Amino acid sequence: MKKKARLIPVTQPVKPTSQKVPAFFRKSDWLSCLFTFVVMLVVGLVTSGLAARIRMQAEAARQREQRTAALYAMSRELASTRGLDELLAIAVRHISDVFRSQIVVLLPGTGGETLVSWSGGQFTLDSNELGVAKWVHEHHQPAGLGTSTLPGAAALYLPLQAPRGPVGVLGIHPADRHALDSPDQLHQLETFANQTALAIERAHLADEAQQAQVRIETERLRNSLLSSVSHDLRTPLATITGAATTMLESGTKIDAQTRQELLESVREEADRLNRLVQNLLEMTRLESGALQLRKEWHPLEEVIGAALSRLGKQLADRRVDTHVPSDLPLVPIDDVLVEQVLVNLLDNAIKYTPSSSPIRILATSTGEAVTVEVADHGPGLPRGEEDRVFEKFYRGPSNGRGAGLGLAISQGIVNAHGGHIWAQNLPEGGVAFLFTLPLAGKPPASVPADA
Amino acid sequence: MPDPVVVVIEDEPQIRKFLRATLEGQGYRLFEATTGGDGVVEVGSRQPDVVIIDLGLPDMDGLEVIRRVREWTAVPVIVLSARGQERDKVTALDAGADDYVSKPFGAGELLARIRVALRHTAGASHETDEAVFKVGELRVDLLHRQVMVGDKEIHLTPIEYKLLTTLVRHAGKVVTHQQLLREVWGPSHTEQAHYARVYMAHLRHKLEAEPARPRYLLTESGVGYRLAAE
Repeated sequence: MKKKARLIPVTQPVKPTSQKVPAFFRKSDWLSCLFTFVVMLVVGLVTSGLAARIRMQAEAARQREQRTAALYAMSRELASTRGLDELLAIAVRHISDVFRSQIVVLLPGTGGETLVSWSGGQFTLDSNELGVAKWVHEHHQPAGLGTSTLPGAAALYLPLQAPRGPVGVLGIHPADRHALDSPDQLHQLETFANQTALAIERAHLADEAQQAQVRIETERLRNSLLSSVSHDLRTPLATITGAATTMLESGTKIDAQTRQELLESVREEADRLNRLVQNLLEMTRLESGALQLRKEWHPLEEVIGAALSRLGKQLADRRVDTHVPSDLPLVPIDDVLVEQVLVNLLDNAIKYTPSSSPIRILATSTGEAVTVEVADHGPGLPRGEEDRVFEKFYRGPSNGRGAGLGLAISQGIVNAHGGHIWAQNLPEGGVAFLFTLPLAGKPPASVPADA
Repeated sequence: MPDPVVVVIEDEPQIRKFLRATLEGQGYRLFEATTGGDGVVEVGSRQPDVVIIDLGLPDMDGLEVIRRVREWTAVPVIVLSARGQERDKVTALDAGADDYVSKPFGAGELLARIRVALRHTAGASHETDEAVFKVGELRVDLLHRQVMVGDKEIHLTPIEYKLLTTLVRHAGKVVTHQQLLREVWGPSHTEQAHYARVYMAHLRHKLEAEPARPRYLLTESGVGYRLAAE
């Protein structure tokens, strides 16, 4: 506007008297020329300024786009990852790449008061730096390098703020002290920090959900155990109480034979209670991890013999065919526990088959493991249930006796020995339970022969 | 011969009641103690023929009672212990106990242990050790080194024979693996528990009708062996 205002006084003095001089050389024309030049210069300067700005904006946009892409890449990777350590490793790697900095993550300690450096960080904090990080955690505001709070620090610290509250502190130690000076950089960095915070919170929530799930599962098991155990404890107790009170109250009114029968049922039921308690104890030991194997080299025949004699009364009128090859090697086992496996398998065979049906025990060796088979000629397992029978509290359909723990315990013991156990229905009827015992470890010194 | 004297050291009143009924019914004179401390005093003052002790006592470890009693007397000590506590049983036997019964136990089982214990003290006092051991079909003539099953003579190797006679010496009583190894192979072989197991398998194949269901050479899982005596 100002320039235009000056134009009028310059052009107005042009008079018709100066017609002889070519218009080109006239003073007023020269001024006009200068004016044009100035205009062009201004236009040029403005244009180049604008171009530079556009270039800068394009560059900034490109950087933003790169970072957005990087942010997207990080978010996507975080979203597909489980576990706090893995999440943090991803976040540290991405932020470090994008901002050319070393990164640490500080997480609240178990008490919630202290901050602990996550082990995957890229630099370590001295007590001053840790102080800055703590301040950030407590005040939920950035501090340290490039900020107005404690700018003397070596690194910049940002709070990791999630919807439910602070989850930690992110520390950024740039290679160039001024790399993070622009507000745009800081803003971008905060976006990355927010994504990281969200991921950490998600991991915490997943942990909590899992713990809750475990609690529910434990509770369910406990209830199932309680109902199963209380039933199995009460049934024999009812028999014992009934028999004892009958004898107490009827006195001499019951005959000797009835008396004898009542007394025998008291003893049988007490035996049953004892077996149940034994299984419960073994189960507890297996589950608490307190089970310690005391492995020694045993002839399997002896362990089978011990199991058979423990079941003596129940097996009294059963045919048991035992086939143990005389050249079967010694097996490295805890004899008390493997005996328990055999007792449980035999006990099952006794429970689920008629007393006239024979039981077969077979041992074979492959050189790497010994396989033991306990087979009966009973009804077999329902189709498809061959694996389910090893679940805790599983009971056969035909007989509700027992707590459904025997096979689960057997599986625990066999697995602890490095072997495995399975069941298969036999084509000729009945079911076979098989388990392997690996012949691992240094075989014992050979036994000196004597003549 | 006067009635044998038994001292019972047990804190559980119901078990004491059951023991009293069983033992007095069989003609034993019974003295009871409910704590380890009282038990040691009872053993000292009653001069019992057999001591029965529960390992879980309120005032002191049953093992400690056994060790104290062993300082002055060789009286047979029978331990009451639960199944699943094989290590405790071995420790008790090492500490000087003679035998054990696993809870829950029947009266017959306990009475058999007491009879065996009394027989061994009687055998030790009369040097006229019986030269022939008999149980079921098995007959071991220690004088003529002859082993018979029914009317068939069985040939044993020297170690098998030594193993068998060691068990005969302790007939009816539990013998730990360590004890067997020491007595048969000597004190330098006590780490080789599988020696005993392998030779026991040989013996069973020669003496038992069904080696996998032994009648005479019984296994006490996790502890050792017992030769049936009745």
